[in-house]
Amino acid sequence: MKNKASISDYLYLVPAFIIYTSIVIIPALWSIYISLHKWNGICPMEFVGLKNFIYLFSSDQIFLVSLKNNFLWIVLTLTITIAIAMGLALLFNRNFKGRAFFRSYFYFPYTLSIILVAVVWRRMYDPTTGFLNELLRLINLDSLTSLWTANPKISLICVFAASAWQSVGQPMILFLSGLQTVDPEILEAAEIDGAGGFRKFFSVTVPLMKETFVIVVATQIITSMKVFDIVMGMTAGGPANSTQTLATYMHSQAFLWDHWGRGSAIAVVMLFIMMFIIIPYVVFTAKRE
Amino acid sequence: MKKKIKNKLFYVVIFLLVALWFTPIFNIILTSLKSPQDYYSGQGLFELPEKIHWKNFIDAILVGNLFQYMKNGLMISFLKVPIGILVEALAAFAITRLPIKFKTGIFIYFIVGMMLPGQIALVPINIMYNTFDLHDTYFGLFYAYVAFGTGFGILVLRGFFNTIPRELDDAARIDGCNRWMLFTKIILPIAKPALATLFIIDFLGTWNEYLLSSVIIYDSKMKTVPTGLMNYVGEHTTDYGMMAAGVLITIIPVLLVFLLFQRYLVEGMSGAVK
Repeated sequence: MKNKASISDYLYLVPAFIIYTSIVIIPALWSIYISLHKWNGICPMEFVGLKNFIYLFSSDQIFLVSLKNNFLWIVLTLTITIAIAMGLALLFNRNFKGRAFFRSYFYFPYTLSIILVAVVWRRMYDPTTGFLNELLRLINLDSLTSLWTANPKISLICVFAASAWQSVGQPMILFLSGLQTVDPEILEAAEIDGAGGFRKFFSVTVPLMKETFVIVVATQIITSMKVFDIVMGMTAGGPANSTQTLATYMHSQAFLWDHWGRGSAIAVVMLFIMMFIIIPYVVFTAKRE
Repeated sequence: MKKKIKNKLFYVVIFLLVALWFTPIFNIILTSLKSPQDYYSGQGLFELPEKIHWKNFIDAILVGNLFQYMKNGLMISFLKVPIGILVEALAAFAITRLPIKFKTGIFIYFIVGMMLPGQIALVPINIMYNTFDLHDTYFGLFYAYVAFGTGFGILVLRGFFNTIPRELDDAARIDGCNRWMLFTKIILPIAKPALATLFIIDFLGTWNEYLLSSVIIYDSKMKTVPTGLMNYVGEHTTDYGMMAAGVLITIIPVLLVFLLFQRYLVEGMSGAVK
């Protein structure tokens, strides 16, 4: 092939470039612009500078709860989801009959729509006829019955449990393929040197899977910052805004109350927080291979 | 002896986990077979009702409009997935095979979109769709889906195209292939496994998408399965039987795709990040 590019070479990029730029990049920049305005979509836009942001951080309690919930979600994902995923991956990395089946079994919920999962878990949590309370009554533990998602104190944890049930298969698969790259001879050598199970895992396996961990942690943080479907499907942010996340609160501000400027400002805050993960992660992705 | 006990324990752990993960689905199956009287009367949690309430399934289809949602989902998926993959393949081909400038920069530009929160584009999309009258249209949904899918598609295909030896390009050129022929006659056919993987992942992603469709679609007749399922959930009361039946019916196509193509899916998922 000639080494100099002709214009026709760039034509291959044109469809992707036009579609992607018009619906993702331009709207993203446009949102930043709108976030500096007071606007309900009908009256003329009124430039207010950083007032939307100042309002959000200084006096909007629901926004602060949403922000806190997103960070809590990140912490829960990085501890609970990752621990379960790693545990399952270690189980299914052993050689036994039917392991391919079990691997698929735990991965399957990840292929379901999150709304469907939310609806399924609503049935679990229903205070009067739901599975959890019925089960507790059946085994005479009535004192433990709860309102679950309708109790603001534990609602976020309940929603998170549904999300973990659904999504744990994805990091599990990544860990499994990471475990496959760990050379068994190194583990054997560690064993000869007297390393026990835990020691082997934390001093040999984990460091050797560094790259897998980077991918899992980065993608889990990004997904946690975007949490939307599961909350909308189960609680729509309630009760008393206890499960509100940045994504759901942005949706309420912009599409329920027509605060387009303030809604865009919340989206911009999401974007800025996520950039701390996205930029290094994108550079990491582009550099591999 | 010790090993045997350890082995037994291992299977017990797996069995418990399998049972735990099955509980929500098991609960939905039972609910779909019961009438409201059955579960309000406090009938045993694990018992089947005396008379199976098939009406739930009929309601889900007739009252719940389920087939309409599924049809819309299929239409959008079969429009979006092949065209999206073609658009992504063209771009990935240019990035990996043509002597264009700023390859890495262009690649980064595209994959950033895969990670951005959809919320950052929602208000302007709403404005644009109002202007061009694209709300409640297949095209409107299709266009947004292709746009938000480009990053992931280019990431997967670029990775695969890079593994195709470059000697093939030279051989093809000597045989008189131009660039378009190289793309259609050589690269695409070799990339079939990657295209198949992407097809499955993309199909499920489109079928399951909620955020964009909740903003683009208002008309109940145009809803896809996730937005449609939200209709089943009332503000205060929910007809759980009908809802559960609807859930089971819409799981079927996903389960079929999963059972038929799970090898592509599981390998593709781990391959996409390699």
